[in-house]
Amino acid sequence: MKKKTDVVIIGGGCIGAATAYELAKAGLKDVVLVERDTLSCGATGRCAGGARQQWSEPANVRLAKASIEMFKRFEDEMGRDIGLVNGGYLLCAHTPEEAEHFKKNVKMQRENGVDVRIVDPKEIREITPCINTDGMILGAYCPDDLHVDPFLAVQGWAENAIRLGVDVELHTEVTGFKRKGNRVSAVITNRGDIECKTVVNAAGPWSQDVGRMLGIELGTYPERHQICVTEPVKRMLWPLVVDFYVSIYFRQSAHGSFVFGHSDPNEKPSYNIRGTWRFLEEISKKLTTLMPSLKDICIVRQWAGLYDMSPDAQPILGKVSEDAENFLVAIGYSGHGFMLAPMSGLLMAELIVYGEARTQPIDALSIKRFAGGRKHKEHNVV
Amino acid sequence: MINTEILVVGGGPAGLCAAAEAAEHGAKVMLVDDKDVLGGQLIKQTHMFFGSHLQYAGTRGIDIAKILIENAKKAGVEFAPGATITGIYDDGVVTALNGGKFIKIKPEKIIVATGAYENMLAFPNSDLPGVYGAGAVQTLMNVNGVAPGNRVLMVGAGNIGLIVAYQLLQAGIDVAAVIEVTDKIGGYYVHANKIRRMGVPILTRHTVSRVWGKTSVEGAAVVEVDKNFKPVPGSERNYAVDTICLAVGLTPLTELLWNAGCEMRYVPALGGHVAWHDENSRTSLEKIYVCGDASGIEEASSAMIEGKIAGLNAANALARKTKLTQKTYDERMKDYRAQLGQLRRGPFGEKVRMGTSVLAGEAAALDEPIESLPKDYRSFPKGARVIIECEQNIPCNPCETICPHNAIKVGKDIVNYPTLDPEKCTACALCLTRCPGLSLFVVNREYSPTETEISIPYEMIPLPKKGDAVDALDREGKFVCKGKITRVLTGKKFNRTSIVSIAVEHKYGDVVRHFRASAAAKPEEKIITPADIPDDMDTIICVCEDVTRRQIEEAIDRDRAQSVDEIKRLLRCGMGPCQGKTCQRLIMQILAKKLGRNVAEFSPQTYRGPMKPAPMGVLAKAHDEEKN
Repeated sequence: MKKKTDVVIIGGGCIGAATAYELAKAGLKDVVLVERDTLSCGATGRCAGGARQQWSEPANVRLAKASIEMFKRFEDEMGRDIGLVNGGYLLCAHTPEEAEHFKKNVKMQRENGVDVRIVDPKEIREITPCINTDGMILGAYCPDDLHVDPFLAVQGWAENAIRLGVDVELHTEVTGFKRKGNRVSAVITNRGDIECKTVVNAAGPWSQDVGRMLGIELGTYPERHQICVTEPVKRMLWPLVVDFYVSIYFRQSAHGSFVFGHSDPNEKPSYNIRGTWRFLEEISKKLTTLMPSLKDICIVRQWAGLYDMSPDAQPILGKVSEDAENFLVAIGYSGHGFMLAPMSGLLMAELIVYGEARTQPIDALSIKRFAGGRKHKEHNVV
Repeated sequence: MINTEILVVGGGPAGLCAAAEAAEHGAKVMLVDDKDVLGGQLIKQTHMFFGSHLQYAGTRGIDIAKILIENAKKAGVEFAPGATITGIYDDGVVTALNGGKFIKIKPEKIIVATGAYENMLAFPNSDLPGVYGAGAVQTLMNVNGVAPGNRVLMVGAGNIGLIVAYQLLQAGIDVAAVIEVTDKIGGYYVHANKIRRMGVPILTRHTVSRVWGKTSVEGAAVVEVDKNFKPVPGSERNYAVDTICLAVGLTPLTELLWNAGCEMRYVPALGGHVAWHDENSRTSLEKIYVCGDASGIEEASSAMIEGKIAGLNAANALARKTKLTQKTYDERMKDYRAQLGQLRRGPFGEKVRMGTSVLAGEAAALDEPIESLPKDYRSFPKGARVIIECEQNIPCNPCETICPHNAIKVGKDIVNYPTLDPEKCTACALCLTRCPGLSLFVVNREYSPTETEISIPYEMIPLPKKGDAVDALDREGKFVCKGKITRVLTGKKFNRTSIVSIAVEHKYGDVVRHFRASAAAKPEEKIITPADIPDDMDTIICVCEDVTRRQIEEAIDRDRAQSVDEIKRLLRCGMGPCQGKTCQRLIMQILAKKLGRNVAEFSPQTYRGPMKPAPMGVLAKAHDEEKN
């Protein structure tokens, strides 16, 4: 392992791997990515793999739109099939308030260039023939949204980063930092120290732990979300469907299996990733109500992952403290890190190479936004 | 929610004994098994058991199952057959799929007696129909009455391979050969001798290299291997077979224990990963006990005693006071430990002795010396008596138990060789019907002035008739001379073993041990290997997701995968309905070989609930009931 490098990236999930790749692509190749365990072993490998542009906050919409374009180019650029299903995203509304929100969001999203439209229950049934639209008022449908296999995407970023000269060090755990003045001079790991000019915290749900090693409170915290998968069946569903009212999202993967999960409002911050039987029962009830024809399909596996929650459910990007000038973060993605990873990687690379994000402004995602107590919470989270 | 004190998972010999023991002391016990019929592997086992009368030695497995079920029923165990456990959750709830319902059980203690699953081999076309595990073949034949094929190649000469080969012969199915990759027969020689004298060759240092066939197996190539298990060039030999039966070992079925969070250890001598457990069968989790093959691969006789130990301790650890007194507990533990100790004596207990000591973190205790084989055991000058052809220190003594004249002595140490007191032996032949190895014969030197009569324990049909002229065969199944059937004894007290006597010339009295009705065996036809057998790199390793050896090796070489989990993420292997039971061991072997590391360094993939595919409609219905 290198003793000295330009950039150390902490975390071998989607954000870390995408950042490593974009840095190398931009010409900064003296980069070491350290991962405590293996690639995608944290939140990334446990996520559903959806990528949508339908967000309530403009900053998220812009990041997502650019990311989706990058996912579409992924196979050509990286030479790896990532199981992309170009089936769009369908969001379903059940209450008049929700319907109003959707309309407002769609307007804002369209202003940001997203091809999204409001659909009535009849159209919903056309897009998703097996769905039960009882109680649905309308939907928001973006045919441009997609879903992919997160493992394969991370593998693509990592192997291309390595090809361009990045070192990926697995089973390498960060245990602390060395400082010189208001800068981090080295990252301390279980395999030795790495001197560096810049550090990127891309540790996902463990981001707060990494921050605390420098005495910085980042305000992020881990939260368990459960998910499961069925046996593979013939394709019957193209879009990834989200129903905030019922609280469920589901998709049919390239492989044919249904992947679905929900949010539990009673979940407390913790690192617990054990599954529960109640989840299996509850999620099955929800899905078979929405998709009655799935009742004989079997769930073959359940698991849970951690969201790296931020106070407003939006990511935190860039510098976080004057006391640690060269310590950058790309954290707090609150369950939608994977879909924002391509563009996040590019913006982080630009920030390091040019000292500023050039493709898109990221001021709205600075940690400073919490200073005044002002929060524009992202509502479209499941 | 079903409340019970002790939940036993698995209705095989270990589970049934555990349940009966715990219930006997007053515990409320529920026993679940995924099969509709209880008994586990016992219901396929048509052969007689080894061990002592305490473990029903000399009784056939199928009959032992009935006894154990009856014992558990009498003790008050509540049975739930046809219920598949799908998970043990952190809130103490155990879930199961039972006849279209998703049920929840809340026990105070859980005894995991889930048994084992069969190891697989991967070779070109190993996914062709006709390649079976030995257990599957036994189920087809002995439970469902279906012949798996017409001509079988048995891979593996451990006890399972030898027993199943014998059962195939009993079912009238031809066994082309038993092959064994190591340099020795791992099973009991008495089992090997049963099939050898019927003419089945046992080839050590041989393995199956590939099979072929259009839609199912039509032929197989067998190759000799050197001491490093590398194929010897030019040694390939073809067999026209339609069935390959794999009997290459068992792996403890531990997915529930992994899922529950028990501390697991890799102990090769016990068959792979097992839950750490103390001498009272308790795992690292206070509420979970483990016994039988799930705690380490061993014989069914040991599984029964392990079950009793687990049941006794689980009952003893209940919060509520049961009928179990300290005195009874101490006495029983002492007895059960002594019985286990006896069964684990001798050369066949060595592996388990080693495994249990590794698990306990202790050095293996030295086995007390065992008496050696008497030299002149096979010949005697005149008269009629029993000949004992038991050649190994097997823990077994039914011959001693059954003999009405006290002519056979094994002694307290049941791994001793049986010795015969010829003065007391009346040549009644009763012992022939109780020897699980069919290794006792009666030889009468004075049948006639020119002939010796050999009485053979015989479990085949059809039975010959008195006066039939037959070919007399030696211990290898080779033709010796012509012989004549002199007696055919069969009866209820003979335990479904018949005694067939055959007269041959005096000089063949020590040689003849079997016979056949028809004349010469047909010569082996020449089989030509088809050209279109896929390369070994295209062998399917994960059958659920169709992942090949080449893809796995590429994931290691190109994608830098160094663990089962990383390979799974890239290729989906192990993500299918079997959750890696078939491929996981093979993948660990490929990883170890390619990375130059030990298999012990790799962990299996993370086991996740539900352990068996669960229909969403059933789960949803349970949710409705939960709310009401």
